[in-house]
Amino acid sequence: MPLDLSIVVPLFNEEESVRPLHAAIVAGVEPLAVSFEIVLVDDGSRDGTARVADEIARADPRVCLVKFRRNYGQTPAMAAGIAEARGEIIVTMDGDLQNDPADIGRLLGKIDEGNDIVVGWRHRRQDKLWTRKVPSRIANALIARVTGVPIRDNGCSLKAYRASLIKRIPLYSEMHRFIPAMASIAGPRIAEIRVRHHARAFGHSKYGLSRIYKVLLDLMVIKTVASFTARPMLWFAMLSLPMLAIAGLALGWTCFNFAATGKISLSIAGTGVIFLTSTVMLLAAGAFGELIYELGDVREHQFSALTQRLLLASGRHP
Amino acid sequence: MKESAGADATVEISAIIPVGKRHATDLLALYAEYESALDALGVTYEVIVVLDGPRPELAADVQRLLGSGARASIAVIGLTRRFGEATALVAGFQRARGRTIVTLPAYHQIRGGEIGKLVRALGVVDLAIGRRWPRVGGRFEALRRNLFHHMLASVTGQRLHDLGCGARAMKRRVLEEITLYGDQHRFLPVLASRNGFKIMEIEVQQSPLDRYEGGYELREYVRRALDICTVFFLVRFTKKPLRFFGMVGVSTFLVGAVLVAGLAIDRLAFGHPLADRPALLLSSLLVVLGMQLFALGLLGELVIFTHAREIKDYQIEEVVRYPAQKLPEEPRAVERTL
Repeated sequence: MPLDLSIVVPLFNEEESVRPLHAAIVAGVEPLAVSFEIVLVDDGSRDGTARVADEIARADPRVCLVKFRRNYGQTPAMAAGIAEARGEIIVTMDGDLQNDPADIGRLLGKIDEGNDIVVGWRHRRQDKLWTRKVPSRIANALIARVTGVPIRDNGCSLKAYRASLIKRIPLYSEMHRFIPAMASIAGPRIAEIRVRHHARAFGHSKYGLSRIYKVLLDLMVIKTVASFTARPMLWFAMLSLPMLAIAGLALGWTCFNFAATGKISLSIAGTGVIFLTSTVMLLAAGAFGELIYELGDVREHQFSALTQRLLLASGRHP
Repeated sequence: MKESAGADATVEISAIIPVGKRHATDLLALYAEYESALDALGVTYEVIVVLDGPRPELAADVQRLLGSGARASIAVIGLTRRFGEATALVAGFQRARGRTIVTLPAYHQIRGGEIGKLVRALGVVDLAIGRRWPRVGGRFEALRRNLFHHMLASVTGQRLHDLGCGARAMKRRVLEEITLYGDQHRFLPVLASRNGFKIMEIEVQQSPLDRYEGGYELREYVRRALDICTVFFLVRFTKKPLRFFGMVGVSTFLVGAVLVAGLAIDRLAFGHPLADRPALLLSSLLVVLGMQLFALGLLGELVIFTHAREIKDYQIEEVVRYPAQKLPEEPRAVERTL
């Protein structure tokens, strides 16, 4: 029996938060009159999170608990929860009570308006200014600029997705920040709404923009992979063009010089040959990329089917 | 998850003995030693011997093994060619029915009586590895072993002492979840601990018959070094190739670019013609090498990206769903077929 809504919550050492979280979700979602489940993902917590979550699952059959044996991080936790979820709409949120489940109704409303992804924006964010808010502001501007998906708050976990779409998006490494950007290969309609944000009641922050270089590298990967995944040959060919230009210059100069003076400069001729080789290698890499894409299961036509809408139909079309 | 015979409540322990190129000449005596040790544990067990490749010289032994007093269920599996010990292990595991899997070396490494120690350790951990201690043997051998394990520790951050010891006991789940191939059996503890299993080294008495069999060939050393590289990639970078290749590539590229810039300034400001600068070759090689490494990293990312849904980067221990209890206010729907 498919459900209307799955709420996926990764938990890492949130022993005190789990019960209030469950109560808040139930209080926030029950008035919506939708069938729902709560997927709690225990990301290898070392405190009693798993035990408390298990007790909750026992008492409330709408709760499902996915247990990791060790700590893998927030993205794998979300990926596991999403894979396990059975709802048609999937809402993800943090387990630290900083997101307010009362906002879920508004997220669902936006989905009903025809959006595929609805992103929360913590517009009065209750965090430290210099260690959390400022780096986050910079990172978000950068992510928006590079990926071309203008979202003001990628770090907010409170998001809603159509399950058919999110289940097909590859989620790995530390990509949870970039899910909308990743999803942009499918061309979804993305909406952003303001959500409430509370100061942390229990424990301390476990996930953060800890290492900026990782974010930058991930960003670069997403940019290249998301925009050129379907045409690696073209992309690598573009990459090889400057190499080819340098090779052409050096070899051209060598020929010209040889014709004029009868001498060959080993350094310049060698440089030309090196860059020419590199051009060929990059083209070969592009061909390899085509092969990989061909064998993989991320295909553009599958995505287009997920987000397309019938705009006009006449005659025999149903 | 791999196909396997599935756990069978009637069998407690499955002992798998992969027989590779190196094996005891008195296989029957070795088997008898293991058998008496397993008998002493007082639980039901089965023994699975896997011959890695055709072993005509062992045919007589195998016949006698099968014909001898059938105190325990014993199976002998022959692989058609030499696949490597890890594959032999997996082949044996596919037939194993026990809740606990014990792997035993096909030559004298430990005293049979020590198997119990390993099995008992499973009360606390998921995988118990035998460590032959105190160890007899030459100083060169000890040095070689230390070097290998130190290198491995620097890669995995985990100091182990005797990965060469084939005597290990593990819970069934360990082999159900970990894919082994080639020579990876040696690194099973490393891979297991990466998958979140608890592992522990248990000191066991070395068999008096365990002898260092002369020097290893050079090929063997090369193979070990490559093994460590493989483990390094498996543990650190399989899921994020661009982090590794990108970093190396970008730094190579930058070194080359700085050199090129230096040469260009030299040319423009001081008029040293580029034509007689061999450094130009070096710098352009570095630039090109950097590009190539980066391109490799990107290809790796493309592989991960397009296959991310098959190669999960996490392992779920269990999914807990309690079925809805009978709720009085919810009338049971009566299904009818017309």
